[in-house]
Amino acid sequence: MGLPKRITGRVWKLGDHINTDILHPSPYFSLNEARVNEGLVEGMERLGTDAKKDSPDEGIIIVAGENFGCGSSRETSVRGLRSFGVRGVVAKSFSRIFFRSLTNLGLLALECRDIQERVKDGNSVLLSIEEGWIELADKRRFPFSPIDSHMKKILEAGGLIPYLRRERDER
Amino acid sequence: MGKGYTGEIIQRHADGKREGEYLSVNVDFILLPDPTFALLLSEMKELGRKIWDKNRVLVTVDHFAPPSTIERANIAKAVISFSTEEEIPNHSIYQGICHQLLVEGPWLKPGKLVLGADSHTTTAGALGCLATGMGSTDILYTLVTGKTWLRPPDTVRINLKGKLPPYIMGKDIILELLGRSGEGGFLYQALEFYDMDGVIFMDDRFAICNMVVEGGGKNGLFRPDKVTRRYLEKRDGHCDNWRDSFDEEPSYIKRMEIDLSSLHPKVALPHSPAQAVDVDDIKGEVIQQVFIGSCTGGRLRDLEWTARLLRKRKVAPGIRLLITPASQKIYQEAIKKRYIQTILEAGGVILNPSCGPCGGIDKGILGAEEKCLSTSNRNFQGRMGDPSSKIYLASPLTAAASALAGRIMDPREVM
Repeated sequence: MGLPKRITGRVWKLGDHINTDILHPSPYFSLNEARVNEGLVEGMERLGTDAKKDSPDEGIIIVAGENFGCGSSRETSVRGLRSFGVRGVVAKSFSRIFFRSLTNLGLLALECRDIQERVKDGNSVLLSIEEGWIELADKRRFPFSPIDSHMKKILEAGGLIPYLRRERDER
Repeated sequence: MGKGYTGEIIQRHADGKREGEYLSVNVDFILLPDPTFALLLSEMKELGRKIWDKNRVLVTVDHFAPPSTIERANIAKAVISFSTEEEIPNHSIYQGICHQLLVEGPWLKPGKLVLGADSHTTTAGALGCLATGMGSTDILYTLVTGKTWLRPPDTVRINLKGKLPPYIMGKDIILELLGRSGEGGFLYQALEFYDMDGVIFMDDRFAICNMVVEGGGKNGLFRPDKVTRRYLEKRDGHCDNWRDSFDEEPSYIKRMEIDLSSLHPKVALPHSPAQAVDVDDIKGEVIQQVFIGSCTGGRLRDLEWTARLLRKRKVAPGIRLLITPASQKIYQEAIKKRYIQTILEAGGVILNPSCGPCGGIDKGILGAEEKCLSTSNRNFQGRMGDPSSKIYLASPLTAAASALAGRIMDPREVM
């Protein structure tokens, strides 16, 4: 695992206050991965993003507005993103539970206020974790807020569970 | 600074480790409702670690209660088997909604630090605790270590003052606040409520703290006062270790004030709890269903006022009125006080204590284009059913008045 230096991905663009009920409708709550993925596709359809067209191996970066992931703590929404091939989310701001859950599952949660209006669905973007910027299709670069050192440790471990194993081994 | 009581509670639970902006803290209690607990069971088994303190958790089967599909039956079964095998002393099956059970039991007192695998864990802040929700992986970490990492939040003081009109409930107060702040207006912040005149009932405080998360709040707490003390004395038969230092005033980054006497009943329009308007602005909107229940709107005072309004009246033709007491205990009290009888006579349907319609889990699911007035906490698109359905949020009083009228109605007109 560990934290890659750079990540590229295709953009799913979303708006402000995207809540977990729409992102991943509750009837799709399940312990079955395929069912959880169906929920994400349904949510993305409701949000007007054509998730069905995307192949998971391309790597997907969600670019969203304010308060991303508000609402329920059901982690199925984040698990759905992870298993669908989403590598990270860049948002103007995050709802706190969702922010933690993304990090806990090893997905990047980056704060940047400058790119949401500048990207379109399907654009490719490049993230430099090492240097702290996001490059858009037109090669313009925008910085994201520094990742907190605690969160960085979790991401470097590959998520909170590997971090927990590591923390225990260190004792 | 501006760290409030929340900052003080974090400091008192800190174990000395710090990384970045986060402090490692000891957790007093964990709430584990069925679906989100089920989500961490396989990882917990894989880790091969045990619960750090079995006496400090409450497991509830309340979301899938009783289960309505085979898959949910298996999820509930996994939770029940685990709790039985691990001999978890506090586990509750179908006894009510987790956030109500957590405050009915003897575990929480002012100053405790509480986590739950459900966003509405903030409810317990009404007792003067720092209570907040987290995802299953975070909860797993706490379950095996007894600790979590917290970023001390900025804290906002909210003074609630003035005489409480009889037509105003906790739901109106929190909708007013969310309307002012906007969705996410309190992102990462702690909200601390001061009931300046000691007029807000504990049931209404629960309703208020429950919904601070709708504004993005990390937690919401009521400064412990005589109402808190009375609640604890009634619940536990005594109230030990009451700290008198609640009078010392911590610092805040911001202050807000709500004059209770000038409030009008509020309604949150679809699809955001922060889209709150005065009931007058939406009065007359035709609805098909009224839901009175959930972890924010199904407590005894909610049922009492529902019954008072429905007494000797009938629900409007074509309206489906669904009522869910928040716990079996509340249900029994409501039977004793004849609230249930009154509701039944008016044409209401009583569902068993569980999450049910609020999260679109089971019973009371909305069809295409249907409109529902609900006392629950979220009116997000599709939450209660079809994506084209619409949810309006309001107090139990406004909900009961609207059930009688068949359209959204100002409770002052029927009280």
